[in-house]
Amino acid sequence: MTRIKFCGIRCSSDTVKLNKSPVDYYGMVFVPSSRRAVDRDTAVNISCNVEGIPSVGVFRNQPISYILYVLETGALNMIQLHGDEDEGYVREVKERTGLPVIKAFKVTTKEEAVEAEKTCADYLMFDAGAGEGKTFDWDILSGVKRPFILAGGLDADNVGEAICRVHPMAVDVSSGIETDGVKDETKMQRFIEAVRKADRECGIMSDNSHGRFGEYGGQYIPETLMNAVIELEEAYNRYKDDPEFKQELADLFREYANRPSRLYFAEKMTKDLGGAKIYLKREDLNHTGAHKINNVLGQALLAKKMGKTRLIAETGAGQHGVATATAAALMGMECLVYMGVEDMERQKLNVYRMRLLGAEVRGVSTGTGTLKDAVSQCMREWTSRIADTHYCLGSVMGPHPFPTIVRDFQSVIGKEIREQMMEKEGRLPDMLIACVGGGSNAIGTFYDFIKDEQVELVGAEAAGKGIDTPETAATMNTGSVGIFHGMKSYFCQDEFGQIAPVYSISAGLDYPGIGPEHAWLADIKRARYVAVTDEEAVQAFEYLSRCEGIIPAIESSHALAYAMKVAPTMDKDKIIVVTVSGRGDKDVAAIARYRGEDIHE
Amino acid sequence: MSEIAKAFDHGKAFIAFITCGDPDLETTGKVVRAAVEAGADLIELGIPFSDPTAEGPVIMEADKRALDNGITTDEIFEFTRELRENVRVPMVYMTYANVVFHYGIERFCKRASEAGISGLILPDVPYEESTEFKSVCSQYGMDLVSMIAPTSADRIAMIAKEATGFIYVVSSLGVTGTRNSIDTDLAPIIANIRANTDVPCAIGFGISNPEQCRRMASFADGSIVGSGIIKIIAAHGRDSAGPVGEFVKSMKDSIKDL
Repeated sequence: MTRIKFCGIRCSSDTVKLNKSPVDYYGMVFVPSSRRAVDRDTAVNISCNVEGIPSVGVFRNQPISYILYVLETGALNMIQLHGDEDEGYVREVKERTGLPVIKAFKVTTKEEAVEAEKTCADYLMFDAGAGEGKTFDWDILSGVKRPFILAGGLDADNVGEAICRVHPMAVDVSSGIETDGVKDETKMQRFIEAVRKADRECGIMSDNSHGRFGEYGGQYIPETLMNAVIELEEAYNRYKDDPEFKQELADLFREYANRPSRLYFAEKMTKDLGGAKIYLKREDLNHTGAHKINNVLGQALLAKKMGKTRLIAETGAGQHGVATATAAALMGMECLVYMGVEDMERQKLNVYRMRLLGAEVRGVSTGTGTLKDAVSQCMREWTSRIADTHYCLGSVMGPHPFPTIVRDFQSVIGKEIREQMMEKEGRLPDMLIACVGGGSNAIGTFYDFIKDEQVELVGAEAAGKGIDTPETAATMNTGSVGIFHGMKSYFCQDEFGQIAPVYSISAGLDYPGIGPEHAWLADIKRARYVAVTDEEAVQAFEYLSRCEGIIPAIESSHALAYAMKVAPTMDKDKIIVVTVSGRGDKDVAAIARYRGEDIHE
Repeated sequence: MSEIAKAFDHGKAFIAFITCGDPDLETTGKVVRAAVEAGADLIELGIPFSDPTAEGPVIMEADKRALDNGITTDEIFEFTRELRENVRVPMVYMTYANVVFHYGIERFCKRASEAGISGLILPDVPYEESTEFKSVCSQYGMDLVSMIAPTSADRIAMIAKEATGFIYVVSSLGVTGTRNSIDTDLAPIIANIRANTDVPCAIGFGISNPEQCRRMASFADGSIVGSGIIKIIAAHGRDSAGPVGEFVKSMKDSIKDL
């Protein structure tokens, strides 16, 4: 989704209008010559009354001491430099304020635009002039690779075209939402609607080109693999809308994977919890027992079209490995699965299952011997053998185009939820809950609903023994932004960027990162991510088994645990859908051990 | 003029990769000095990373040994500054994107350049993602070294045209580590690079003996050896300086007359 900045907020009546607008930033202008100028005291007043929207202070060629003077008030969250400030100045502002800095550029040629990208500022903005509200030839921005903010003469009538033409990460508007120099509430709402409409129509709901979701995503991989991911992207773009490919995949989903999966009304659970109505999206009923098959059938079919004869995959709990081994068997392809030695011990049954299906399973003992090490080993393997091999990545992570491809193949979950919900209830649900490791079943559940802002999206991540302990895998709750496994996203890491050993009872959520689209959805506050401990997940595992006769995967139990917590606090006319991403047969022995019974498979 | 160019201005260059803190920084200091004395023209100092996805087992284990001993980026900056007092050849850091990004690209580059570092090699930052690192590197007079692989094909011209410092040519598919033979036909790749830039090229990945070193340097401007050196350190621990010096000398001698 394109972010929105309303600039030139200057009085308390503007503040009232701003508070009614779901925008991402607002700007206050500290340039004395501007007719929208505010002073320090007014700024404090405004910032105290704005609810939950970050503020940007706009300056133009002013002494840094003045910026620092304004900053003392705590009224600003970001700095925008809108004059002829040079790099030294920008760097000094960054260092002395410690705040993110936006540098605005007035460009007239493609070359100037590309040159501007080199700025050390955190964000760059392109404007027609020094904020005079004129548009310019947006095509000169076509070569810009960094995400940027577009400004200059935007209004509800032209912002849609601008978004579809140049995919800015954010749009900045001031005079376009004013009438006779005063902020106009109707124009403000129309502007937001125009931006959302463009997002929908241009198919850039949240990814704004170049494989980026906001600042997240990208392709941080060795040069050796670059042509492989480019080839994959080209093939995907060629086949994703190809009627024959779509039909083949739809047939596989229906005839082989048992789709559509049921949307089951958990009546006993609903009554017992005494709050919102709870529906379960039964991905556990898919062939191979989890949502993983959706992605794997899509990727295997794509790999086959690309002429690949061999699939490699990482696996944590073994569900993705089993799904990949299954697809390889079905399509007559060779299959190699890497699995951490720790996980092989935790999930012995799945190891045998993969071998039974004809796959080779190789243990990975480096690092923590878990999912992240299996991913690393897959990347190493792929660099040594590319020509005949497709890396069938199991989650919405890794380098572009994987987060997009995996999301698209998993988005069948949310599309079905919408149809089934309309059929059963005649309306959309109020909340969707799914567990998040890398985040593929969650994004599959959420994706079709991102534009429906009234539907709350909640990801449940693994807190392990608690987010205040080192034994956790709750990336969004404890991690920070980093670059790893091909993507920029949130990761659990130490102060020097070394990836932290993570822990969860669930081998499928035991990963120190999260898919880039989730990072973005969290940043723009479209989705929120809650942490669920081992103990809470095990209780939910047992609860659903006894209450509904459904044994959920320990991964999915994290989502169920949050539903158990939140449902009683909601009115009875509210509806929650929880995605049961997989079945729990694989976990029975481990949960028994957790409860002190020594069962071995 | 790039500092790195000095490594290539007196014949074929021999480039040595050494992981910082394996097994401790004192040893790393001795090994670097021994390598330089034996003729190394450029030193790649590896900053260990917890999950080095482009490395084979030899360097992975070196990273683990160093991290298990508690090495930090800050200690490596301090160590480099001291090393710089009497090591005259250019030095670059080789590490992973997150080590730089999480430290703060600006803060990292500033400290690296103050410590006397001339460039960065980040194997998980390809051309498409290079801008955010390269722009900061160049502000501090450092080069972000570009890599070209056997699979680069139609990407070679694009990468070569914007390369500075030197170009790291990856000899073969796969990760770092010694190989019995290098079968890639590298001559056309080098020719393609040459058609697009005068920046020197050095070949690395899999070079472990003087014969390979000589063959690689014969059609490039230099050879890079990493795992071959790290293996010696793994075997000799704190007494590695002597054996590494001898090894480097044998490699350097093999390319002297080219």
